[in-house]
Amino acid sequence: MNEQRRQILQMLAEGKITADEAERLIDAVTREQPETPPGPKPRPKYLRVVVSSTDNFGGDGPGRVNVRVPIQLLRAGVRLTSLIPPQALAHANAELARSGVPIDLTQLKPQHIEELVEHLDDITVDVDQPDAKVQVFCE
Amino acid sequence: MIPQLVTVRSRRRNGRWLRLYVPVLPVLLVLSPVLLLAMVAGLVACVVFRISPVGALRGTGSVLGALRGTRIEIEQGRTAVLVSVR
Repeated sequence: MNEQRRQILQMLAEGKITADEAERLIDAVTREQPETPPGPKPRPKYLRVVVSSTDNFGGDGPGRVNVRVPIQLLRAGVRLTSLIPPQALAHANAELARSGVPIDLTQLKPQHIEELVEHLDDITVDVDQPDAKVQVFCE
Repeated sequence: MIPQLVTVRSRRRNGRWLRLYVPVLPVLLVLSPVLLLAMVAGLVACVVFRISPVGALRGTGSVLGALRGTRIEIEQGRTAVLVSVR
């Protein structure tokens, strides 16, 4: 019980105010109190990729791609990366370097990717083109 | 838990839909001899490439288990392919 409500009840007990007045005061105090903060935001379960294109590929008309992938599937895929043999990673590193992408995949630990997946819900990608639209978001 | 049902729907140029419902567990049971061979081949590959077979099995299981809820829709003009895993 908060202090204001206690004071109102005290005044009622002392006979300084009537029950109706006490009720009105308690209502007013309740309205003045800020609303309780909302609970934790529900965590998204899916990663959505939506691509809409007005291009008329092959004369078939506009195209649309809508992919919904469970985030749990991304996590499972991340765990699978720990099974990639070191020689394959070294080969992939060499190919990436040759293509001008100097990324050392051996430095990419599963926990880093796990953190990335963990914060995917904050990511929203919107690409707007006159003839195409791409949206990536979590829901 | 592995998926129970995979639904594949395809819309042809004439606008007709082809629907295919694949119950996963019965199909796995029917294909179990082939899956057994594939598993043995996978274990041999794990030994050759020095990958933990237990980790590989666990990873494959978790990927299969996480497939539920996947939905892929591709539309192009009058044709479309929809795949849903439940």
